[in-house]
Amino acid sequence: MQRRDIIKTAAITVFGAGLPFSGAIAQNRFAKYAGSTVVMNIPAHPHYDAMQKLLPEFTKETGIKVEVDKVAISRLKEKQLLEMAKPSGDYDLACYIVMWKGEYVSKNLVHQLEPFFANAALADPAYDMKDIVPIYLENLGLVGGPKGYLAGPGAKLYGLPYGAETSVLAYRKDVFDELKLKVPETYTEFRALLPVLKERSGMGALTSRGQAGHQAVHAWLLHLNPLGGSQACTAWLLHLNPLGGSVFDDQWRPRFNDKIGVDALKFLQEVVATGPAGIAGYGQGEANTAFLQNKAAMYLDTTSFASVVADPARSQVVGKVSWALHPKGVKRASQSGGLGLTIPKNSKNAEAGFLLMQWLTSKQQDKAVTMLGGAPMRNSTLRDVDAVRKYPEFITFVEALKHSNPDWRPIIPVWDKINVQALGVAISEALTGKKSAEDALNGAVPQVTSIMREAGYKI
Amino acid sequence: MSMKRPLPLVIGHYTMLIVLAVLCVLPILIIFATSLRQQVQIFAEPLNFIFMPTLENYRAVLEEDNLNRYLWNSLFVGIVSTVITLVLGCMAAYGLARFRFPGRQAVAYTTLLLRTVPLAVMAIPVFMIWNQWQLVNSLWGLVLLYVAVNLPFTIWLLYGFVLQVPVELEEAAAIDGCGPIRIFTKVLLPLMAPGLAAASIFTFRIAWNEFILALVLTDRQTRTLPVAASLFITDLGVDWGKVMAIASLIAIPPLIFTFVAARQIISGLTAGAVKG
Amino acid sequence: MRTARWVPFFYVGPAVLLMAAACLYPVLTAFQLAGYEWSMGTPWESAQWVGWDNFRLAFGNERVWSSLWTTLLFAAVCVSAEMALGIALALALEHKVRGMAFFRTLFILPMMIAPIAVGLVWRYMFDAQFGPINAALVMVGLEPKTWLADPTLAFAAIVIADIWQWTPFVFIMMIAALANVDSSVIEASRIDGAGWWQMTFRVKLPMIMHVIAITLMMRLIDAFRVLEVVYVLTFGGPGDSTEILSLHIYKTAFVGQQLGVASAISVLLLVVVALLSWGALRLSNPMKDER
Repeated sequence: MQRRDIIKTAAITVFGAGLPFSGAIAQNRFAKYAGSTVVMNIPAHPHYDAMQKLLPEFTKETGIKVEVDKVAISRLKEKQLLEMAKPSGDYDLACYIVMWKGEYVSKNLVHQLEPFFANAALADPAYDMKDIVPIYLENLGLVGGPKGYLAGPGAKLYGLPYGAETSVLAYRKDVFDELKLKVPETYTEFRALLPVLKERSGMGALTSRGQAGHQAVHAWLLHLNPLGGSQACTAWLLHLNPLGGSVFDDQWRPRFNDKIGVDALKFLQEVVATGPAGIAGYGQGEANTAFLQNKAAMYLDTTSFASVVADPARSQVVGKVSWALHPKGVKRASQSGGLGLTIPKNSKNAEAGFLLMQWLTSKQQDKAVTMLGGAPMRNSTLRDVDAVRKYPEFITFVEALKHSNPDWRPIIPVWDKINVQALGVAISEALTGKKSAEDALNGAVPQVTSIMREAGYKI
Repeated sequence: MSMKRPLPLVIGHYTMLIVLAVLCVLPILIIFATSLRQQVQIFAEPLNFIFMPTLENYRAVLEEDNLNRYLWNSLFVGIVSTVITLVLGCMAAYGLARFRFPGRQAVAYTTLLLRTVPLAVMAIPVFMIWNQWQLVNSLWGLVLLYVAVNLPFTIWLLYGFVLQVPVELEEAAAIDGCGPIRIFTKVLLPLMAPGLAAASIFTFRIAWNEFILALVLTDRQTRTLPVAASLFITDLGVDWGKVMAIASLIAIPPLIFTFVAARQIISGLTAGAVKG
Repeated sequence: MRTARWVPFFYVGPAVLLMAAACLYPVLTAFQLAGYEWSMGTPWESAQWVGWDNFRLAFGNERVWSSLWTTLLFAAVCVSAEMALGIALALALEHKVRGMAFFRTLFILPMMIAPIAVGLVWRYMFDAQFGPINAALVMVGLEPKTWLADPTLAFAAIVIADIWQWTPFVFIMMIAALANVDSSVIEASRIDGAGWWQMTFRVKLPMIMHVIAITLMMRLIDAFRVLEVVYVLTFGGPGDSTEILSLHIYKTAFVGQQLGVASAISVLLLVVVALLSWGALRLSNPMKDER
């Protein structure tokens, strides 16, 4: 609660500066940039596919043209960094994955957003920053506060959530009804349900990202790819948090190999054991597909998946899915994260980029993109009558967001390295049975410690 | 004293040649065929070779995806770097072949070694240096790099051709009163025309086809065709029609050169090795 | 021929200057960068000197060795296949026939096409869902394969693409070499009663051994420089089963953002290629015809 208040205060302060001017200036906001082009770097992702349909509307309203550079999401960072490392780069707006925010800011590659919002000539008086889901804003956009990535003193806004997500449980209502099963509320129930579903439903219990791989004799399978190598680690973190664990303690010392960490990993091992065939090799794509194609009874991952589930062109389970909260361990702690938009410092047309970013994340456009299958980032959208009618799961999502934990993953600048090289490897070794859960986690401690020390943490 | 070969052998020979030719050409035909098909068809019937051709992919790619810009960039960089490389390379080959000067061995061997440097090795230093010199995102920056990278091969190639021109002709011209520069332009160059043709084809081909250095040095405005092509592979739902249209555009100039100047190309390839 | 002292420098100078500045200098810089820790996206001024650390890191990294091994395997398989096929085909088809020039033209097409286009078309051909190869397999009743998702098959795919592109080149070189062989020697051997085996292995091949060696070296060196085809076809995947050195360098630098370590690996690759090139130079000394 306290955190949310801090964000609201920050938002009002930042925003208050722009309030007195409205009306006439609002109309002229875009005039100066009409005819110019904004270049946007986006991934091939359902939310951004939906967004692309809105762009012609933007050009019509403002006269600013938009060119889109679409890249496979596994290559997004590579492409962006290449551009941002040049004296002057292509992109005026870049989509990033939440994990990169620390690195981008520490390398001084992206603009702070406060000055833009404070600029009366650019800011939209009707923007209503408070309406943005606070947990999304904090998670995706704030850098510099406590721990470096949370709200609090020193936190500055560098990006806006767009394509953000939290974790939620999707389950096959038809299967549960048929087997007369209760939707799991706690991890104990969750755990008990796994073997039951596996035996009696004819499909896997829970689909999950495992990416451990049958060739995991070599650690090389988890190659340098923030989404690839870290699949297993992300899946483990999803469960670690509600169970009360974390990667580091308050002094940044690794504590992931304590009893709770091991317990969470053992849970993940059970998931893999009772999951659909081939789960050990699943990346996020495969995990999603398994659920869509009737191969798993439950799905515990991102809310941005909801639109795909409801799409008959891609989903075999349309109409059979219900949504519930991420089960409770010692607390409720769903993940949060996803994608956001930021303005690279070497952009040639930063102001126009900001205008586009502001427009896309405005109330009207957030609703528009949501209706097209995108992920909402505003409370108003989540509660909007039309949206809820089309996506009744939003009711669950609003509830899930209340319990969302921005600190479920320590997204410090070196997190990527730890995620992929140390923890990802260790967890996948546990999942393939190469090591026991304890050994795997204990084995990762020296490497994580050395990475942290190299990065300057005094542990 | 040639024996008439028995007919079965001749037929067998031609059959093999045809089979090999088909193997060589089939993927290239697939590039063009796929580029002329509609996306729906590509996905539904990969092997159906009877279809209504459509230029839609080319239109889409040239109009919507800015390929006309990239095509122009590739042409500019290809032609300009080829011309400069030829001029400088020819001069250098002549200098190396005809004159003894201090450092000649060093230049010769370094040139030959530079030719084999993998371009991936150069990508990082070039990225850094070109950024420092503010040559990044500029077509001339790319031209400069391509000339420097192509010179070793071109010099080596032209060297062989220069050697084939008898020195006596130059000496005769010298006696006639021609200065060294006129000897070069009036005597040597005309005789080296086939070599220059081969060299220009190879140099253009390298500049036109080059990928990794262009990838790190260009932005949307200066991007070349190969880089643009690589961006269309997105792991999900690749639009093969468009990709093959771009691949076709990339493939067309080398194809034209090959058909027009096959003999020169082959003699260029085999010159150094076979004569030795 | 008496010429002014400045003349040779006039001819050679501009090219040498350009090569020194924009080709040699970057290559030497790679050596320098190998000693720094430099993260992509940070300015050069912030890079830190780490001496031999990058080399230690690189050589201690299992993935580097795995990549080196993959590259060696790739080079060995491709080059042996290309040489064997090229020589065999040349021997079989060396007899002059009408229209050979036309066929030769077709044969050099694969090597003239941009590697990126080669990569793209083979990526399409090997596509598990829509590629013609799987469609053809299904048509003859065989199982379609997930070529690019299986480590062994993906490796086979990049090898096939390379063999397709370069075997014709070897073939042409061998044909040219065989054509240059002194026919009187062949006649003499035939009169002496040499059978096919002896003719091929005792007479013809030894006479073109020089060209074989040069072609072999050229192919070997080029196999180490392969990048585009693998970049498009598999990008090193699945896992890193097809991650040849050039690609590993690229990924370390631009995906892993470790420019210093990538430079250290570049130095490794450079040394390998330089050794091979030196060997090739000794074989085919182009300055042999000195006067």
